[in-house]
Amino acid sequence: MNMNEDNIKELEQIKQEREEYLNGWKRAKADFVNYQKDEAKRREELVKFSNEYLIRDLLPIVDSLEMYLAMTADSKEKKGVEMIYAQLVGELTKQGMEPIKALGELFDPALHEALGEMEAEQPSGTVAAELERGWKLNGKVIRPTRVKVAK
Amino acid sequence: MAKIIGIDLGTTNSAVAVVEGGEPRVLENAEGNRTTPSIVGLSKSNERLAGLLAKRQAVTNPQNTIFSVKRLIGRKYSDKDVQNDKKWLPYELKESASGGVEIKMADRWYTPEEISAMVLTKLKTDAEAKLGEKIEEAVITVPAYFDDSQRQATKNAGEIAGLKVRRIINEPTAAALAYGLNKQKDEQIVVYDFGGGTFDISVLEVSNDTIEVKSTGGDTHLGGDDFDKRINEYLVTEYKKQEGIDISKDPLALQRLKEAAERAKHELSTSLETEINLPYISSDSAGPKHFLMKLSRAKLEELVKDYIEHSIELTLKTVKEAGFKLNEIDEIVLVGGQTRMPAIQEAVKKAFGKEPHKGINPDEVVAIGAAVQGGILQGDVKDVLLLDVTPLSLGIETLGGVFTRLVDKNTTVPTAKSQVFSTAADNQTSVEIHVLQGERQMASDNKTLAKFILDGIPPSPRGMPQVEVTFDIDANGIVNVSAKDKASGKSQSVHIEASTSLSKDEVERLKKEAALHETEDKKKREIVELRNNAESLVYLGEKSLREAGEKVSAEIKEVIQKKIDALKAVKDSNDTEAIKRATEELSQEVQKIGQAMHGSSQGPAQPGPTASSTDGDK
Repeated sequence: MNMNEDNIKELEQIKQEREEYLNGWKRAKADFVNYQKDEAKRREELVKFSNEYLIRDLLPIVDSLEMYLAMTADSKEKKGVEMIYAQLVGELTKQGMEPIKALGELFDPALHEALGEMEAEQPSGTVAAELERGWKLNGKVIRPTRVKVAK
Repeated sequence: MAKIIGIDLGTTNSAVAVVEGGEPRVLENAEGNRTTPSIVGLSKSNERLAGLLAKRQAVTNPQNTIFSVKRLIGRKYSDKDVQNDKKWLPYELKESASGGVEIKMADRWYTPEEISAMVLTKLKTDAEAKLGEKIEEAVITVPAYFDDSQRQATKNAGEIAGLKVRRIINEPTAAALAYGLNKQKDEQIVVYDFGGGTFDISVLEVSNDTIEVKSTGGDTHLGGDDFDKRINEYLVTEYKKQEGIDISKDPLALQRLKEAAERAKHELSTSLETEINLPYISSDSAGPKHFLMKLSRAKLEELVKDYIEHSIELTLKTVKEAGFKLNEIDEIVLVGGQTRMPAIQEAVKKAFGKEPHKGINPDEVVAIGAAVQGGILQGDVKDVLLLDVTPLSLGIETLGGVFTRLVDKNTTVPTAKSQVFSTAADNQTSVEIHVLQGERQMASDNKTLAKFILDGIPPSPRGMPQVEVTFDIDANGIVNVSAKDKASGKSQSVHIEASTSLSKDEVERLKKEAALHETEDKKKREIVELRNNAESLVYLGEKSLREAGEKVSAEIKEVIQKKIDALKAVKDSNDTEAIKRATEELSQEVQKIGQAMHGSSQGPAQPGPTASSTDGDK
């Protein structure tokens, strides 16, 4: 068979187009498979941390109860609130919540948020005062502990 | 192929997005947030920090925590703005050998490019972790007013971070890209960008797929943070008036108040009033003190009124400088978190007499636009393969004139969907497939695309034959509808080429009409469905009576016959309650026979959808 130049040109063009389309198809397919994987991962995370927003919004209530307990003299009523507080924290612990240790530890911005510095007997750079407790949910910091750092 | 990410490198916050499968999406950082503070720090233990962690240690380490470096990048030390900013920035600056700026962090001097590169490195690393692949290329955005030196410096920062900067694009251009406005013909666009710390206004002109900046303006020291400050000051002053206590010296109280104020600001974007409730904010000799105050949207608007007015003045000035009249502006795009405030949206709308674009998250729209640009450079699938959607729903007419959808509107094509239907009468040997397009519930209100008949169905009781109807739409929008009788294997089909030939206006009109008639259509359809149900129950009842013969007592038969007659009497009326009641009563009686005559009730005998639909792409 005799191929003239036009035919060869056309064939080359078709070859090139074929490559282009095949690549596009492969890419679309790969994107889809990746998307499915991502979606599965996202769903997994969603399940794991679905409570995160709710719990984060509940933390100020935990704080308020703690402040009440710290500032109120012992009484029958206080005992009641203490028990309510224990109930609440117990439930949060069951959900995977865990308080972050801070006092006396070396200041670590991954766990702590500095609101100021203060003179203290402790070594410089360690947490001298805990202002607001931080929390981890299943190992992830959902609120850092607010601290003052020793000068 | 490695992806090209889009980076919105902001003064206070940055964001990263990428195009995947033709769709841009924002990537969360290691801390799980969609934006990252543009802050870098060197901790006392000599550890380099970037983003949120740098922010958390800022107060204890102000000299070694660098923020707002975007205000310095690519500028001369002698620049008036640099000299002004130097006054309030807590870290040290000096003039470099070449006349540029150098920043001191710990005991070393860095160029702004190097600092910016640390932010970019954090963004890159987190994006890589999120995508699970290496990132080598990026599109980075800069303000439209950045000069060559500032652009070059930003590009250098990218290179230092190990990114090949494929393009530096303007932030307003990115925002316009995110909304797809680059495809418009000869339009004037205003981008109103109210960020955390800066207010930028840009006038763009789109023609022949290029976006040109006609003028820029704004205030580099006005932003959402100023709004927060105003609210804070107001709350502190009010509290002092009420309780006589100054909480501005207590860092925790102030922090709690700041967060509550910010949350209140956000809430007031959707509600008219909010309450700030902070128990035990402080204490004095008399005991603990609480903070409880209501804040209304009106009060908030009053507090920041001058800021909003100022921003509108600047906007009008910038439009004028571009040489345009206000009515020549075709589109307005809102960028920046602060534009969520209804008062701002109103003010912009009032100034231009037009509804601004605000569908995309204003904190993310610039990063998304940068990712779209990255996608274009990469030649993402979208460019080669533009996938269409069906503008209107497609389906067929079923018993009682109901329109049964097979393909919903906005389904991406190519696609194929099928569903199994049945006959409406005993010994029916042919079915008419009436193909329709539209959003209304009843067939007669929609547009007929084709009609064809499938015959040769072997005679059998109603509801028994299985006719599979398949809609197959190819990439060009050509619809192939086929109907196949599963028992005999006979099939018929039709090609419809004109299904997408409706004009945009026509599609819009049809959609509007459907929305308008929604409730009334639903009612109509409900009645038809009730009637269909009633009919098949009457059929089932009569059939059961015939087949029951001697097995069922005459009394029961008589009761059922009465109930059948009662249902027959009301089924064609419009009294839904009566139909429902009669259907219910008959159904209970018929079940009694069913229990005795096992096997007589064979599922739904209704000639509507009788089997699960299957779909998949071709």
